[in-house]
Order: sequence, then C-alpha cells, then structure tokens
Amino acid sequence: MRVFFKSLVAVALLAAALPTAAQEKTGNKPGFTLTPGTARIVLMRPSIRVGEQSTGGMFEPNADWTLQARDMLGRAIGSVQGQLGNSVVDLVEPVGADASALAEYQALFTTLADSVIVYQFFPGNRLPTKKRKGQFSWTLGPGVASLPGLKGADYALFVTTDDQFGSAGRKAVQLLAALGGVGITSGVHKGFAGLVDIRTGDLVWLNADLQMGGDVRTEEGAQKRVAQLFEGFPGRPVPSATGQ
Amino acid sequence: MRRPAALSGIAFALIAAAPLPPYTPAYEPTGVDERGMWMQADEAERQMRDSPFVLRDPALNAYVRGILCRTVGQDRCQSTRLYIQRLPIFNATMYPNGMMTVWSGLLLRVRNEAELGAVLGHEFGHFEQRHSLEGFKRARGLGDLLTWTALLSPTLYSSMATSAIGGFYSFSRGQETEADLLGLAYLAQSPYPAASAAPVWERLMAEADATAAGRKRKVKAHRYSAGFFASHPTELTRATYLRDAAAKANDPGYPAAAAYRAALAPFIGDFLTDQIKLNDFGGTDYLLGQLAADGWTPDLLYARAELYRQRGNPRDLVSAAQFYQQAIDGGFAGAEAQRGLGLSLLRSQQLDAGKEALRRYLDATPAAPDAAMIGALVGQ
Repeated sequence: MRVFFKSLVAVALLAAALPTAAQEKTGNKPGFTLTPGTARIVLMRPSIRVGEQSTGGMFEPNADWTLQARDMLGRAIGSVQGQLGNSVVDLVEPVGADASALAEYQALFTTLADSVIVYQFFPGNRLPTKKRKGQFSWTLGPGVASLPGLKGADYALFVTTDDQFGSAGRKAVQLLAALGGVGITSGVHKGFAGLVDIRTGDLVWLNADLQMGGDVRTEEGAQKRVAQLFEGFPGRPVPSATGQ
Repeated sequence: MRRPAALSGIAFALIAAAPLPPYTPAYEPTGVDERGMWMQADEAERQMRDSPFVLRDPALNAYVRGILCRTVGQDRCQSTRLYIQRLPIFNATMYPNGMMTVWSGLLLRVRNEAELGAVLGHEFGHFEQRHSLEGFKRARGLGDLLTWTALLSPTLYSSMATSAIGGFYSFSRGQETEADLLGLAYLAQSPYPAASAAPVWERLMAEADATAAGRKRKVKAHRYSAGFFASHPTELTRATYLRDAAAKANDPGYPAAAAYRAALAPFIGDFLTDQIKLNDFGGTDYLLGQLAADGWTPDLLYARAELYRQRGNPRDLVSAAQFYQQAIDGGFAGAEAQRGLGLSLLRSQQLDAGKEALRRYLDATPAAPDAAMIGALVGQ
C-alpha cells in the first residue's frame, strides 16, 4: 500500500547498460520559421532531477543538487534566448480548474516527446506514417491556445533534464567490470527541450539527447548543457557557451 | 519519529498495545537520502494536486480528513495532505513527505468511519515510522550487494542472490505489519474501536473468492505464509494478528456506520458505476450484497441491475429488469433506470413493455446523447 520503493529493486537490477543506437537528436517542422523580431516564449516549469547513481544502478535523488540545477539552468536558458533576441518568461502557475488543464497538457507534451524520440528519432523504428523524408508532423492540438498563462505569448518551451552522477561505488564497479571485459555504464545524463507554437499547438522543434554534457550543478556546466539543449533551435544559430 | 525501525516481522507482535511513539510536529527531513526523497515526493504532489482524478468535493474531503484526524489525533494529522482519487480499487498510499492518497474503491468497501480510520492509520504509520526511507536504503543496499557479488564472485552470487532478494520482501512485509499494528494503536486511542481493523481484511478475502468464482477460476485457499515476492503479509495473516491485538486492546468505541453512509451517499452511485466497469461480476455482486446489509436502497438496486444487464445472459436480463423496476418503485431519481429497464425487457422478448419504458426515458430526457439510437429502437 505504499508506492515508493516497491519497483526500485527491479529497476536497480535491470538498469544495465542501454544500447546507444544510431539516433537522431533534433527535429524541426519543415518550413517553420520563428516569428521575426522578438519571439515571446513562455518557459513551462522544467522537469529537473539531479542525483547519484548507486552501485547497483538505482537513482538516488539529491535535493540540493536539484535546487542548484533548477536555478542555474533557468538563468542559462534566459541568457541564451536573450542572445537570440527572444524574451523568456517563466509560466505563472495557475490554480483550480486551470491548473488541471495545464497539468494535462504538460503530461501530453511528455507523451508526445517520448513518441517523437521512439517513433521518429530512431530511423529503424519509424511509424509508417512518419517515414517520408524530411517530415516532422506532431501536435498537441489547438487547445493549447486557450491554456491559462499563455495569452499573448508566441511559443511554449518545455525542458526536461535527468542527471544521475555515477557514485564512487558505481565508478569502481565500472572500472572493475571493464577489466573483465564487461561494459557497465556509470551515470545518466539525459535531456530534451521542445518548442510548441501556441496558436496551432504544433511541435515545431524538439531536441533530445540521451548522453549530454555539462555539470548542471555549476554555472558553466549549466550553460554548456543549455547550449546543447538548444542545438537545432529554429532561427539564428545558438551561441555556444563561452570557454567550452 | 526517532525510534529505530525494528527489522524482524516477529518482533512486531509484541508492540501492539505499546504506547504511541513520541511525535515530532512539522518534521523536516534530514540527510541527503531523506531530503532527496521528500523532494521527489513534493514533485509527485504537485502533479497530484492538479490531477483530474482527484475528487475535490469540499464536504467529502473534510469528512475523510476528519476521520484521519480523529484516528491519529489532531496534532499528527496536521502534517498530512489528503487527496481522494477516483480509482475503483481498494487502496491508499502514503508518500514520505506526508502526502496521503485515498482511492474511491477503498471508500466504497469500508462500512463505517472506524474501518476507514484503520486503513488511514496504517498509512499514517508508514509516514510516522519513515518506512519509505528505510525501504529505499534497503533496496539500494540490496542492489549494491548483488552488483558487487555478481562481479567479484559469481559462485557466491548464485548461492546468495535468491535469499538476499527474499530478505528484501520479507523486510517489506515486516514494515507492513509494523504499520498495521501502529494503525491499530492509533485506533485504540481514538473514539473508534480497534476491533474494526480485522473485518476489512476478512471481507477482502471473501470478495477475492467471489471474484475468482465469478470468473470460473479456482478459489484458492487463504494462507498464512506470504509468497516469496509478496510485499504485504497475506490478508489472513493481517486479519488474524489485528483481531488478536484488538482483543488485547479491548477498547470501547463507536464505529459510526450511519454517519459514514450518509456522508458517502452522494458519491456511491458514481463509485458503483466505476466498479461495474471493472467487469468483475462475482466480486461486484458480493460487494453490493455487503453494502445492502441493511436493506437494498434504490441506488444499490440500480447498480445491481446494471451489473446483471452487463453480464447479459437471458436469465440475467430478467433479473436486471426486476431490479430496475424495484429501483424505480423505490424512488430512483434518474431516467437511466427506465432506459436500462427498457433495454432489458426488449432483449427478454417483452417488446411492448420495453418500448414503453424507453419512451418514458426519452420523455424524461429528450436531449440525452443516445436519444436518436433509443428513438430508433422504439420506432420514433
């Protein structure tokens, strides 16, 4: 009758090395161009978690690191988009029935992004309807336009990062296993970012990377991470972080 | 909150009548692991808060919260937030940060405030003893141990892995027993009688039997020994030790059944609709029989009619028509009873009576979404 750790053992035991197959990272809606001038972008509350990976491969959440990353990534996103000439504001979280509607669209975006990653970015796994070359046709539907807090904005930006730093034990196991010729991964650094056109609900850009760089707990690392997150962002090229 | 969690399930039988552990109000998590878990739970609670599955009726929420507070005490219940979810399954959950979820399937199955208090007290016991944290550490330790042994000594691994995994589940069952008995200790100190805890599990066993029989499965004997991968003790074990502990506590109390029925009355119809959609004829019929212990109300008769019409054997349709008629005679307010009555009669070859009932349905709700379809049946 308690949800929390029942599945963790199974996860810990199964979290062996995932194959990193040849995979595309970025998709753009063909023919899409960002609104000229200053695009007004609303940043939805990013999903960020930072912690350690235990020796057995279990995620160990770390509240301090997550808080630092939330702070650093937020600032880096604002600064990168500012350099692109766009303005980014954080979504003001609504209450009541509005909050429910927003929560459903947040969940829908996660499902959509997962679908793009699984059924479009892996060329061998493409759905028959997604096989035509150069197409990128995914949408949340026009209901996005009526969501609270998005009035007057052009785009909604969704950002998700998942960082699990290999613990000392995990690194030791990795080293030892490598000596025996067994490959064990240490650490997980995943992230994706997507841009939704508020007027149509169309997903106009998605970037997903299962092996990202940049230590999100530090300012420079967060800047590097955000530069990677925004690779392929429509419009002008993204300035890479200084000194990286 | 500071007492170390005992690890053996056997030890808990002794603490049943023990006084409650000292309570720390406004507890803040300490250490990397606990703070991390609370952070994750806080994120989960943000989603729960905005979930469309949460029932937000203020009266119902205040009522269920009142039962929790009367069970565990006013000071303790301050540290929890309670979310009632519309899910037709017997369950409640507790998160490490004090978020509690109560599922509508649980509300449908308990008969009085005291039985609900018993389950909510159990969940609160997990929170007070910080079981999630202990379970997290245990799971991590198990993963680490298995990884190291698999790497360093495959021989040792093959001989110890099974028992190590079994030890984890045994530990989980120990936590459940501890929470059961702590829940009972809350109940014994509350206005509710501790004897209310065991019957919940006894009826759950009977319902499982009815479900199995309804699905033409073998009705399994209930056992004391839990399965190797079982996270909880068996219902029989729980009912037995809860009954023993309640006999020792021997506290007077008032279970408040009438008040519970009255408070839940506006929601029972919806909860029963959800239950019927589970396509569990045996279990649902048993549940309806339990709910009708003090007589069949129009709501219960309507639900039973829907259940029989759903199964739809010719004899079921005869029974369904009878139950619909009884519900209508008893004063069932909704026009959907006429709809069900008409459809059941039509399929029982009683064409005229069936069409008549469907016409009454259309007269009462001309704008019903299925009006065109029902109209075609009656030839309008």
